[in-house]
Amino acid sequence: MNSSSTALERRRRFDELVGVFHQDMYRYAAWLSRDRSVAEDVVQEALLRAWKSLDALRDIGAAKHWLLTIVRRENARYFERRRLETVDVHNLTPSQEALLAETPDDNLDNMREAIYELSDDYREPLVLQVLMGYSTGEIAGLMGLKQGAVLTRLHRARLKLRDSMQDDVV
Amino acid sequence: MATKDELLMNCEEYKQAIAAEPSFDGGAAHLLQCSSCKAFRAEMQALDQEIGKALQISVPKLQIPDLPELESGNVLTMARRRYSTPVWFAMAASVLLAAVIGIRMLGTSVSYPSLAEDVLAHVDHEQYSFRVTDKPVSDSRLARVVPADVAQMNHTAGLITYAQSCVINGHNVPHLVIQGRRGPVTILLMPDEEISAAIPLNGENINGVILPVGAGSIAIIGVRDERLEEIEKSVVNSVMWST
Repeated sequence: MNSSSTALERRRRFDELVGVFHQDMYRYAAWLSRDRSVAEDVVQEALLRAWKSLDALRDIGAAKHWLLTIVRRENARYFERRRLETVDVHNLTPSQEALLAETPDDNLDNMREAIYELSDDYREPLVLQVLMGYSTGEIAGLMGLKQGAVLTRLHRARLKLRDSMQDDVV
Repeated sequence: MATKDELLMNCEEYKQAIAAEPSFDGGAAHLLQCSSCKAFRAEMQALDQEIGKALQISVPKLQIPDLPELESGNVLTMARRRYSTPVWFAMAASVLLAAVIGIRMLGTSVSYPSLAEDVLAHVDHEQYSFRVTDKPVSDSRLARVVPADVAQMNHTAGLITYAQSCVINGHNVPHLVIQGRRGPVTILLMPDEEISAAIPLNGENINGVILPVGAGSIAIIGVRDERLEEIEKSVVNSVMWST
């Protein structure tokens, strides 16, 4: 295979992967960073990094995990660079607000706000489990935690969300 | 038929399990006898539906960034560029060539230049881990990084001063650093990377190898004049794959 067809094949492979997993990458980045603009930046950086190291991915079955791991690292790098402060949900920038203002549905808005206010430690495993379909073992692997710690965080996250939603009703 | 564990499950345990994973289908025997837990289960499952809907935010149209042209489909060229930066490692391109040549000399029909590359790129990426220190990582950290369902590892390999769960080729890999006679030694436990023969990683400033170990492999990389034979033996003897 000549170099130009190899390059084309590489690009085709990349486009296929991105086409399948782009939404997951964006949503994961958005809920990690809690900011739509940051999520777009993080995904752009992650795509670039994925392109450069595409040859490292030899097991296509591991592609989603590979891409989400890159997103996770890029998000960490972004916050290392920016050193963003803790977000106050009542004092948000427009792109932070955009994450919460999705649909005209009070109940969903309240839930998004409650998820938004969860600490990173609770929000991330919840996103991975509910949105990405990760098992607790896979979450433990990605986050470098014991499975027991993941179970505890998920348990606490849901109880916090339940309590927040009940407070909103009251 | 209900298992002994399910019968022994109390309300607190059941609620913890359901709140951690609303699809949890254990504890059926307990559920039959406990209306409170039954209601809690329904509540958590309904809550999860709402969480799922809330997390499904709209996604903007995909914009692929300007992708740099990579030199004609070979990773060796990329790696040369990467390692040309003036880091202490100063790995020469010969590292990768040595890996490839090494495999060819062993006469195997399978080549693993990418695995060697992944390993070196990762070590380069986490070069801050490669430092001389006498401060060991805690047992709890080691247990987190080398979970029991991946491998059993005892402390005979040496003083472990760095432990981090990393991803190589899409798989979680425990990345450890122990202190050798001449300096730090990086160890990557790769239970998912089966190789048929050892891959030498000889560079200007490093001395390393990826060893086949059962259905996986272990990369061991030290400074140039490190005597790796003893370390290889003790590391291989200290690790047992769990799967």
